[in-house]
Amino acid sequence: MSDMNLSKLSPFRVDADELIEKFGLKEDDFEKANETEKESMVEMHKSVSFWADAWRRFRANTVSMVALGVFILTLIFAFIGPMIVPYTYSDQFRNAQKLGPMEYSEDEQAILNVAGLCDAFYATSLNPGSLTALSKGDYYFTYKGTTYAFNLEHAMEKKVILLNVEGYDDAVIVVKESDIEEDGTFEEYEVLETTSEASEGATEIELKTSIFPHVFGTDSQGRDIMVRTMFGARVSIIIGIVAALIVLVIGSIYGSISGFAGGKVDFVMMRIVELIYSIPEILIVLLLQVVLKDPLQAWFDSSKSSFAQAMSDLGTGIVSIFITFALLYWVTMARIVRGQVLQLKKQEYVTAATALGASSSRIIRKHLLPNCVGQLVITTCLQIPSAIFTESFLSFLGMGVSAPMASLGSLCSDALETISLYPYRLVFPAVVLSIIVLSLNLVGDGLRDALDPRLKK
Amino acid sequence: MLWYIIKRIGASIVTLFLILGITFFLMNMVPGSPFLTEKSTPEQIALANAKYGLDKPLLVQFKNYVVNYLQGDLGVSLKMQEGTPVKDILFGQGKFQLSIKLGLISLLVAVIIGIPLGCIAAYNRGKWLDGFLRVMTTVGVAIPTFVLATLLLALFAVKLQWLPTLSGSLTSPKEYIMPIISLSFYYMCYIAKLTRTSMLDAINQDYIRTARAKGVTTRTLIIKHALRNSLIPVITYLGPVIAGIITGSFVIESTFSIPGLGKYFVQSVLSRDYTVIMATTFVLSSLVIIMNLFVDIAYKIVDPRITLSSQED
Repeated sequence: MSDMNLSKLSPFRVDADELIEKFGLKEDDFEKANETEKESMVEMHKSVSFWADAWRRFRANTVSMVALGVFILTLIFAFIGPMIVPYTYSDQFRNAQKLGPMEYSEDEQAILNVAGLCDAFYATSLNPGSLTALSKGDYYFTYKGTTYAFNLEHAMEKKVILLNVEGYDDAVIVVKESDIEEDGTFEEYEVLETTSEASEGATEIELKTSIFPHVFGTDSQGRDIMVRTMFGARVSIIIGIVAALIVLVIGSIYGSISGFAGGKVDFVMMRIVELIYSIPEILIVLLLQVVLKDPLQAWFDSSKSSFAQAMSDLGTGIVSIFITFALLYWVTMARIVRGQVLQLKKQEYVTAATALGASSSRIIRKHLLPNCVGQLVITTCLQIPSAIFTESFLSFLGMGVSAPMASLGSLCSDALETISLYPYRLVFPAVVLSIIVLSLNLVGDGLRDALDPRLKK
Repeated sequence: MLWYIIKRIGASIVTLFLILGITFFLMNMVPGSPFLTEKSTPEQIALANAKYGLDKPLLVQFKNYVVNYLQGDLGVSLKMQEGTPVKDILFGQGKFQLSIKLGLISLLVAVIIGIPLGCIAAYNRGKWLDGFLRVMTTVGVAIPTFVLATLLLALFAVKLQWLPTLSGSLTSPKEYIMPIISLSFYYMCYIAKLTRTSMLDAINQDYIRTARAKGVTTRTLIIKHALRNSLIPVITYLGPVIAGIITGSFVIESTFSIPGLGKYFVQSVLSRDYTVIMATTFVLSSLVIIMNLFVDIAYKIVDPRITLSSQED
C-alpha cells in the first residue's frame, strides 16, 4: 500500500504535510519515547558477560566440575591441612620412627590412654629434639599464666605430665607412665611446683594439646609423612602456579610483540623461538640447577632486600626452577599468543584504534591481549601440571628442593630407598602428585571447551 | 624438497652449536674447579688446569671443544674417572647402545600400541571400550615417569616378585619389561589420545562419507582412508616424544640402576666433570636434533600441503 502511495509523491518537491497525510502519521509520533515505551524496546534477556557465559558452559561439564572439586580438595589438603595437624614437616619424633599408617609409638599410646582425661599434656618423647643434649637447668612451661617447673630427673624417667585432669583438684600434676593403668586411670601422682620465673638455663617446653594419628605413618627419621606430603603438595602447587605465571608474562609479551610487529622483527623473533624450542631443555635445566646454586646462595647471603629474603626462604633449587622456566619454557605460550595476535590485528577495531592515534603498546595492552584471554587462561592452566612434572622430576633426581623441605618429587625419591620395606611411603606422595596433575589437566580441558568453544573436540 | 632439507640441516647445526655454547658458558659460570678437593693446593689446581687446558681463555677452550668434536674426539674425563677417554665412558661396555636400544624399543611400543588404541577408541566411539580407554589415557598422562617406574618396581619386583628388582646389565628380556613400560606408557597414552581425536575429525570428512557410500567396510575405511590423514598430528608429536624419552631415561636408568647414558649425564653434572658434561650434551642433543630432523622430513612427505619454508603452525 505505502509503496503505491509513495510512487505518487513527486521526487523533486516533497511536502511534509503531504507525507504525513499519505502515511497516516499522527502528531505525537514524533514525541520522545517515555520510560515505559523505552523499556519495551529493551531486549528480554540480560546480556551475559564473557566470564559468566564461560562459567555456565564450564558448569555443564561434569568431568571438569568434579576435577575442579578434587583440585580444591587438594588445595585444602596442602594449605589448610598443616594447620590442623599439630606437627611440622621438619619435626622429628624420638621413638616414633618407621611407623606404619595410623600406628602410634609406645609413648603416644600411653598418652592416648589418658588423653581423654586432660586437656593438655607434655611427654618427654614427644618433644622435638633431644633432651639428653641439655646439661643444666630445669624444664619449665607456662600454662594459663602460671609457670611450672620440673627437673631433668622427672623428664628422663619418661614421665607424662597431665594438666587439669578431671576428678583431681590440683591444677597441674605429673604421672609416671608406669603408673597408668590399662583403662587410663592412675593412683599415684605428683603435684608440680609453681615458680614465678624459670631458673637460669631452664629449657622451655611446648605443651601438646592432642595426639594426632600418623595417618600416613612416619619416616626413618621419625617425621610424620602426612604432614610432609601436605607440605610437599603445597611446594609443588606453588611452584606450578608461579612458573605458569612467569611463562604467561614472558610468553604473552614476546608473542604479542612478535605478532603485532610482523615483518622482519617477527621473522627474527620467531627464529629465536624455534631455536629455543629445539633445545632439549632438560639438559639445560639440569645444568642450571647446579650452575645457579652458588651464585644464588651468595646473593641470598649478601642482599638484605625483602625480595632476596623471600627467595632465600624458597631455597636455591626452587628459584633456579623459576629461572629455568623464565628462560626456556615460554616459547609455546609465545607461539600461541603470536598466532592469536596475527588473527586479531586485522580486525577493524585495531585499525580504528590506530587511526585514533593509539600507540602500539596501548593497542597490545588494551585491545589485543584482552581478546586472547581465553587462550591465555587455557595455556596457563595446562602449564601448571607441566611445571609440577618438571619440578618433581628434578627433585626426584636429587636437585630441586633441599632437605628438610619436601616436595612431592623429593618424597618419592626418599621413599625409593626403602621401597622394599615400606612401599606405602612411595604410594602416598605419588598418588597425591598424580591427582593434582590429573585434576589440573581435566580442569584445563574443561576451560578450553568453556572459553573457546571453537576448539571443542 | 631438497632445499627444505638443506635448510633444516643448517638450522639443526646452528641449534647444536648454540646448545654447546650455552652448556659451555653455564658450566664455566660455576665458581670453583673440578679439581677442587679438600686436600688440593692452589698449585696442584693450577697444574691440573694447565694439563687439561682449563687455563686458556674461555673462547679458546670453546673453540677447542668444537674442533675436537668435529674430529670425533670427545676428550678425557676430568673427575669421574680421571684420565679415561670420555668416549670409553660413554660408549664403552655398550652403555650408549643400551640407552639407544631402550629408547628405540620404548618409542616403538608407544607408537605401535598407541596408534591402534586410538583407532579402537574412535571405532568404538561412545561405547564402554572407548570410555575405558579414555579414562586410561587421561590417567596415563597424569602420572610422571618416575612415579610409574617406582610403583611398578614396588608392585612387580618387591611385592609379587614376578620380575627381577635391579636390572643392572639388562641381560634377559624379562629385565626390559618394567623400564620399557615406564618409559613408554605416558607417550603411548598421549599418542592414543591424539590418534582418537584426529581420527574422529577425519571420520567426519566428505571423502569418508563418499567411501562409505561406495560400500567400503568400516574396517577398511579406518585403516586405509581415515588413519593416513589422522597420522599427521601424531608425527608432529614424535619430536617431543623422542626428547621426552631421553629425559625419561635419566630417571629410569637411575631407578632401575641401568648403566646408560642418562645416568652418566646426571652424574657428570653433579660432579662437574666438564668434559663429560659437554660430551654427553653433545651426544644427546645431536640425537634429539637428528631425530627431529627425520620427523620434520617425514612430516613433509606425509602431508605435502605444508609449505616448504615455514614449519610453524
